[in-house]
Amino acid sequence: MAFLIRTIDFTAAGREIVRDRTLDQNEVSIGRATENDIHLPDLAVEQRHVRLKDVGGGMLAIESVGGLGFGIDGRTETSVEIDPNIGAELSLGSSRLAISRDGDEPVQIVIKQVEKDEGAGDALAGFALASALPSKRIMAWTFTALILVLLLSVPIFTHLTRSPVENDPENLAQGQVAFDSTWSAGDLSMAHHDLEDNCEACHAAPFVSVQDETCLTCHEELGDHAEMPRLAEGMAPLSTGDSIQWQIAETLGKEGPLGCVSCHSEHEGQVVLEAASEQFCSDCHNELDTRLSNAAFGNASDFGKKHPQFRPQFYTAHFDEEPTRVSLDQTVNEMSGLIFPHDIHMAENGGAARMAMSLGEYGGPLECSNCHEEEEDGVGFAPVEMEAACESCHSLVFDRDGPNFRSLRHGDVDDLMADLATMDRGPRTAVVSGRNRPGHFARGGAYYSNFGRPMSAYIAINRALEPTGVCGECHIPTSTNGRRDLTPVNLPDRFLMGGYFDHAAHGDEVAECTDCHATETSDAATDLLIPNLESCRDCHLGETAAKTEEITPSSCAMCHGYHTPTMPWRPDDHPDLPGNGGNDSVAAILSSLRR
Amino acid sequence: MATAPKNRFSQDERRRNADHVSFLKHKKFRWLWIALLLCIVSGLGYVMIDQEPRPNGGTWYGYTLGTIGVGLIVWLSLLGIRKRKMTTGQWSLKAWTSAHVYLGLALIVVGTLHTGFQIGWNVHTLAYVLMLIVIITGIYGVIVYATLPSTLSSNRKELTRAQMLEALTALDRQLESAAQPLDRDKSDAVISALGQNVFYGGALARLTGAYPGCATKRALKNFPEHDGSDGAEERVRSLLTKRADQLAQIRRHLRIRALLEVWLFIHIPATIALLAALLAHVVSVFYYW
Repeated sequence: MAFLIRTIDFTAAGREIVRDRTLDQNEVSIGRATENDIHLPDLAVEQRHVRLKDVGGGMLAIESVGGLGFGIDGRTETSVEIDPNIGAELSLGSSRLAISRDGDEPVQIVIKQVEKDEGAGDALAGFALASALPSKRIMAWTFTALILVLLLSVPIFTHLTRSPVENDPENLAQGQVAFDSTWSAGDLSMAHHDLEDNCEACHAAPFVSVQDETCLTCHEELGDHAEMPRLAEGMAPLSTGDSIQWQIAETLGKEGPLGCVSCHSEHEGQVVLEAASEQFCSDCHNELDTRLSNAAFGNASDFGKKHPQFRPQFYTAHFDEEPTRVSLDQTVNEMSGLIFPHDIHMAENGGAARMAMSLGEYGGPLECSNCHEEEEDGVGFAPVEMEAACESCHSLVFDRDGPNFRSLRHGDVDDLMADLATMDRGPRTAVVSGRNRPGHFARGGAYYSNFGRPMSAYIAINRALEPTGVCGECHIPTSTNGRRDLTPVNLPDRFLMGGYFDHAAHGDEVAECTDCHATETSDAATDLLIPNLESCRDCHLGETAAKTEEITPSSCAMCHGYHTPTMPWRPDDHPDLPGNGGNDSVAAILSSLRR
Repeated sequence: MATAPKNRFSQDERRRNADHVSFLKHKKFRWLWIALLLCIVSGLGYVMIDQEPRPNGGTWYGYTLGTIGVGLIVWLSLLGIRKRKMTTGQWSLKAWTSAHVYLGLALIVVGTLHTGFQIGWNVHTLAYVLMLIVIITGIYGVIVYATLPSTLSSNRKELTRAQMLEALTALDRQLESAAQPLDRDKSDAVISALGQNVFYGGALARLTGAYPGCATKRALKNFPEHDGSDGAEERVRSLLTKRADQLAQIRRHLRIRALLEVWLFIHIPATIALLAALLAHVVSVFYYW
């Protein structure tokens, strides 16, 4: 095998000097020592560094002589076999020996000196991912600047420089603060949904919690549950955690556990206001008497277990000006001024029933609804009107006027007296009727007109106002300033004032009127037919009671409202949306067990 | 003193152990246990403490979790400063890193409970999501640091990075001379292969290892195998193949490096952005209190 050794050097001016020589031998030695076939005057090269050997088959072996490696195509090796036809680059110190061969020609070894690569360190930096991505620092500062400007500075600046607007529920203003919707921790409840883009309507001053007075700019008519000092006095003691939080919060300007927002927390999503839980009420009302000694009502914690007896208001004596509240635990007599036995009217086959059957407008025994008409709201009943409810049977007709009947006006004794005084003095029958013989006039041959005192009318008035008279059928006669009169009818518009009863919710499918109102056994109007606590408990027990066919678990809010004690808490719309309360987490269950 | 050598031994043994135990196993997983304890206590508190009207960041427990969370986040981000000051002992960098990893993981629980699972398009959730991004990239970082370095060294095959580049340069020099007899279009193919930067391709190419625009691969298509071409073309073809192989090794290295490093390009900027979002979160909550 022959080797063509070509050495390429450069003059100082950069001109190439090429020197060729041919070695016709099978082995070539390379090293620093001059006796080598290829002599490389480089301290990094060993005296006898590498040997190139023909190993047959056109292959060339490169071996290290002294054991120190050499570079071959960039790798460091001590022994390697190459195909010169493909070529390889041997690297020793600063020399590069390009080995190649063209067919059967001698193996060519081109020797060049290379400059030490100054840019190697820079090139290595290309291995780091940093060379292909924007700098971490630039990314970090960009994100930081965007967040601090858009999400912090802009809302604060526009909030501080806005011109505050007085809240008007009829005409809500647009929010002036920019980008503060990014501060909203969640959607507002349905009731406040229109304020979604008007944060400053509630968050009026920076770093000041939402104040009650801000709420009251729209909700000014809302009633207090009780006067504030009494409310605070009656409140249940706070848990340690809560009390620490409120101490801190109040130091920082929160309005305390009785402020609006402590119950009405917002930003909980599009929820509807939900009735407070029984626990919410019983926290204070369970042992209220230990904190409020002069409360007008008893403790309550659970309708089935701890609830004071009902105390309806009604008139306990005739001529009373105001109704009185009396507990149903006492013997109660309602002095309404009326005489009305419910049992006679309700009996299915008594005289009243026979009479009703004979009258077209009833057509059967009397029913409650014949006299008691439900109000449109389904809650209460309209006052009973005598003319509509009673007169079909208890006729007030007292005279005949030609083809018509005359009825007494009802409601005022003066009217009654005036009507009765005209009895028999109204337009008389025709002076001549038919073919009377001459000389015959009216009854008894007398002239018709009776110009004397209406004695018969006075008698009729006196009789009517007697216990056995027409008025005395339902009213209790009395006398006022020596004149006959009737005891005034005193019926309250509403019996239960501290709570609320929905008749519509107890409609036909749930119960009959008589299931709760003992009309069939009541033989006197002095019976108060308001059902007591125990009879409600036949169906209603507390919130935690198990629901069965008969038992309806009932929380306080079914009959009581917090801000409106005589009105129920009632959802008005959005029945499909979730409520704001209903905390059924493990924590709530555990906490209710602890209490 | 008779006991001195024994003390010395145990002292050295401690140091040896400290030197060779991974930061994950530091002190028998001390920080893992502390982090687990923190998670359990936070979780129990969340379940046991009745928060009215529902759990969220605004209850007293929510504020407590939030305070713990903000403290942890600030401390965790201080690793960037701490790691530049190496010390040993109680608060060695290894201990610090161990705590960084495990307390960072515990932050998932603390932060999530602080949200009360209320998520929305707002600055509060932004902070939460940034926190999760930081933690998830951190988890990724721990995993790749544990697994990838061995593949990195097996891919090197005893070549340094400089040698890999040098090998490519050597091949390029040979290609330059071997391509001399080629005609115009084949020479152009070789020129384009030689002209393309060794680090050609963006971050995505590095991460996926897919280089559709690789000029060497394209040049190789001009030199079909065994088409009876002359020796020069055959030589250029085999040199180009070698070049492609060398490039592949470099690119595997780049890929592993990229997989090892990419998380930091999210972890670090997201951490700084998280600190900003946290500031906006805390200020906005109390500004609109």
